[in-house]
Amino acid sequence: MFINWALQEINLKIVYYGPGMSGKTTNLEYIHSKLDPSLKGDLVSLKTKEDRTIFFDFMQIEVGRIKGKKPKFNLYTVPGQVYYASSRKVILNGVDGIVFVADSQPHRMEANIETLLDLEQNLKQDGQDLEKFPWVIQYNKRDLPGAESIDELQKRLNFFGVPYFEGVAVRGDGVFNTLKSVINLVVQNVQSQL
Amino acid sequence: MVQTRKLKDGSRQVILNGKQYEAITKILSELATKTKASAILFADMSGQLISQRGKTEDMNTTVLSALAASDFAATAEMAKLVGEEAKFKLLFHEGDKRNVYLSNVGDDFFLVVVFDVSVTLGLIRIYTKKAIEDLANALLVNNEEEDNNMIDEDFSTLLGNALDDSFK
Repeated sequence: MFINWALQEINLKIVYYGPGMSGKTTNLEYIHSKLDPSLKGDLVSLKTKEDRTIFFDFMQIEVGRIKGKKPKFNLYTVPGQVYYASSRKVILNGVDGIVFVADSQPHRMEANIETLLDLEQNLKQDGQDLEKFPWVIQYNKRDLPGAESIDELQKRLNFFGVPYFEGVAVRGDGVFNTLKSVINLVVQNVQSQL
Repeated sequence: MVQTRKLKDGSRQVILNGKQYEAITKILSELATKTKASAILFADMSGQLISQRGKTEDMNTTVLSALAASDFAATAEMAKLVGEEAKFKLLFHEGDKRNVYLSNVGDDFFLVVVFDVSVTLGLIRIYTKKAIEDLANALLVNNEEEDNNMIDEDFSTLLGNALDDSFK
């Protein structure tokens, strides 16, 4: 979090984390497509030729002034593929809140778990603790036939009992609720520590 | 000094006061005048733009800062992989029309200088080095008493409402 008293700006960094193809970029694309142009900046995607995120996607959103203060939210995604582990670590630098986008398909359970452990490890290396960190889970692709039950996903992934949302990111289902929830958690987290 | 707090979860909170911001902006203005650089950005290592000078109207400096911070972070990882124990201190990107010179300011901040190829790199280096020293000093200026309740309960309720409005 970066606070600039001179401009009354509060900058927060939110990172969308998750396994490859779970829908992290789709979340950002939906938010970008729905927000009023005055509230959003460009959506920048560093992609491979095959349309896979190679480094990150980035977008800044604003909500205008609140009690004279100007909150700005910097949204990032990480590349999900296993071999971009170092890139994921790099993007977590200075993170204030995380959205873990899990893939609801049963055959992606292992990838979900692996990526979640990778997140925990990366935070730990930076002196942070996933158990105390503000983060939420989005169970994405709920519309796909054969999607894993929420009970099972909760049991396997949500071991710290963080807020979770069901999502169909391509349609926008759950996208804003997820983002709002993580922003709330970050703000509460700051309040409790002032 | 620039106020950096570690929150309980380990995340970092950096607070810049008014005096520091003024001092930083002044240093950037001087650097812009002396080097004739097209644009100068000062940002936080997490990618958040703090101040800018020069002809930045047609440049998306928010995105530029985010990319530059990642550039730094990526090369820091590269340094480790090739056996360099310190981080690389500066990055230089050379183009046909424009060059970009990036240098860290302490561990938490960095400076981006965008300049025309007609300006010599030597000139940029000399003035940037001086500016970095000045910036490091500016960040040491004491914090005045600021209202610490920038984010009170009222604030989060209002923010929630504002988010609902934006997400309609």
